[in-house]
Amino acid sequence: MKTLTIQPVSRIEGGAKITIELDDAGNVSDARVTVLELRGFERFVIGRPVEEMPRITTRICGVCPWSHHLAAAKATDAVFGVTPPPAGRKLRELCNSIAYMEEHILHFYFLGGADFVMGPGADYSVRNVFGIVGKLPDVARQVVKVRHMTAKMLEILAGKAIHPVAAVPGGFSKPLTEEERQKLKEMAKEAFELAKFSMDYAKKNIFPAYLDAVKTVGVIKTGFLGTVANDGSMNLYDGKLRMMDADGKFEDFEAKDYLDHIAEHVEPWSFVKFPYNKNWGAFSMDLDNPVGIYRVNTLARINVADKINTPLANAELEEFRSAFGRPAQLTLLYHWARLIELLYNAERCLELLDDPDITSTETRVAVTPRAARGVGHVEAPRGTLIHDYTTDEKGLVTKANLIVATCQNNAPINMSVKQAAQALIKDGKYDQGILNTVEMTIRAYDPCLSCASHDLDGRIACKISIVNSRGEVLDTLANA
Amino acid sequence: MEYAPEYYDKETLILGVGNILFGDDGFGPAVADYLNERCRAPAGAAILDVGTGVRQILFNLIIAEQKPRRIVIVDALQCGRTPGEVFLVSIEEIPDKKVNDFSVHMVPTLNMLRELRDLCGVEVVVLAAQPENIPELVSGEMTETMKKAVVEAADYISEKYLKECQE
Repeated sequence: MKTLTIQPVSRIEGGAKITIELDDAGNVSDARVTVLELRGFERFVIGRPVEEMPRITTRICGVCPWSHHLAAAKATDAVFGVTPPPAGRKLRELCNSIAYMEEHILHFYFLGGADFVMGPGADYSVRNVFGIVGKLPDVARQVVKVRHMTAKMLEILAGKAIHPVAAVPGGFSKPLTEEERQKLKEMAKEAFELAKFSMDYAKKNIFPAYLDAVKTVGVIKTGFLGTVANDGSMNLYDGKLRMMDADGKFEDFEAKDYLDHIAEHVEPWSFVKFPYNKNWGAFSMDLDNPVGIYRVNTLARINVADKINTPLANAELEEFRSAFGRPAQLTLLYHWARLIELLYNAERCLELLDDPDITSTETRVAVTPRAARGVGHVEAPRGTLIHDYTTDEKGLVTKANLIVATCQNNAPINMSVKQAAQALIKDGKYDQGILNTVEMTIRAYDPCLSCASHDLDGRIACKISIVNSRGEVLDTLANA
Repeated sequence: MEYAPEYYDKETLILGVGNILFGDDGFGPAVADYLNERCRAPAGAAILDVGTGVRQILFNLIIAEQKPRRIVIVDALQCGRTPGEVFLVSIEEIPDKKVNDFSVHMVPTLNMLRELRDLCGVEVVVLAAQPENIPELVSGEMTETMKKAVVEAADYISEKYLKECQE
């Protein structure tokens, strides 16, 4: 009996603890990804003026502040019963697309990409930023430039990029000047060139070498959740939610009705809940017959969208779909889907910057406190993010619920890790390359584990169970 | 370097790190705010409240060509000292827990600080304070003990690093 523990997963934002359980023969009997995290944010905000939410929520986590910022702003719009003017809406979407580019570039080239560029068997000492810079210096230079550029773009649009405050209930506080628009357009063109290059480079030099891994590592069969516009096209800022089952049948619903579809399963070994589609039956993570499980993040969005309304990204979607079908289930395809999204966001930025509305000075409408419930959602880079607030007649928060992206991928991540471990660790034999492949599985989902747990009341969720081949618990190790 | 923030060119960059939603963990941002409210950073220095966004900043710094000569990380660290004590700590002395600290603010990832120091030649200074209380659940209030530490740390930074940048 042996328990392998891999900790930490070095390049994930945040961290996770993976426990792999082996049976007497040294084969994987179970694997779990545990998040050591707790928050309590939803209780903290009770009694606060709801208009503070877009500002406070950026402090939850510095990894994706824009997503929380915008979901909170949209929820407050709904609470106050207002619709931002076109310029306010479009400036928010523009910021969202730029933040996406910043994130997706980071992930592809430096977080997940290191596995591909350097190879899963490479030593840890070179499987990092410096390894990539050494191997692909020209690409790295351009990536570095665009990383800094996207931060600069957000600063121009919002005044500050780290903890943004520009989105406010009813719109956006800072109109865009013509001079700024021209400056942003030049930058957006450079980002677009890098996005095109990245897609081509990956298709020619990276993905073909890893197709075998793509076909086997972390493969599970699930449903998918994402956002689409009314015409069924991809939309990352606004639209209806689309829940697609593993066979591709789907149902659309408004974000405010999410509780009619999504329930949260609790496992005794984790404080992080497991959201699932309750309309599909009782929750089960059985690899052969999962029930209620859906995935979010890039692959999910690529799957649920009927089309993409920008030409190059749509051409990529069609090529992807003809190669892998709809819905595509292979987990490592998250990386491929991420690059299609990078391209979409680059194209969308240019579209928005060419939109005559974008420089209108009417960027917000006035709001008045009232008792109401408001739900706002966006597609965060890591998946669907829902903020749900209720206020009293003074506009003070009486109830808040956040459904965060990584949390929704909690069950799929656990399932994929188990599948990967089962396939790659045989008879107790493994090496660093194999263990890293298990980590690769998690990185494909790009989890941001810092906000994945919420509204909890106590201990740190960390437990190692050791079970035998008959499923009997032989030992339990817990740190709480 | 094109598009690089101005603070890359500074002699000293001071980063206030931590999550203001978790009591004493808001120490770093509070020190940055205190300094920015009471004195203008001299030409050779920049003071930023980077909150929980420090990873993005450190990452961009690591890959940038131009870097400050010195980076001062201001952060609350559980090092078994007296609550409110302000102290300098070497990267090697930072508790291992910080490496994978995803429980509170998951920063400032030690490996990035090591890379900045060892591979980029940046002097990395960590000015820490021992927190009295970092709650497990979100709670904005900092303890009185830690508020005093904020003033002490800000005075130390002014004396030790900001004066030098003025000269």
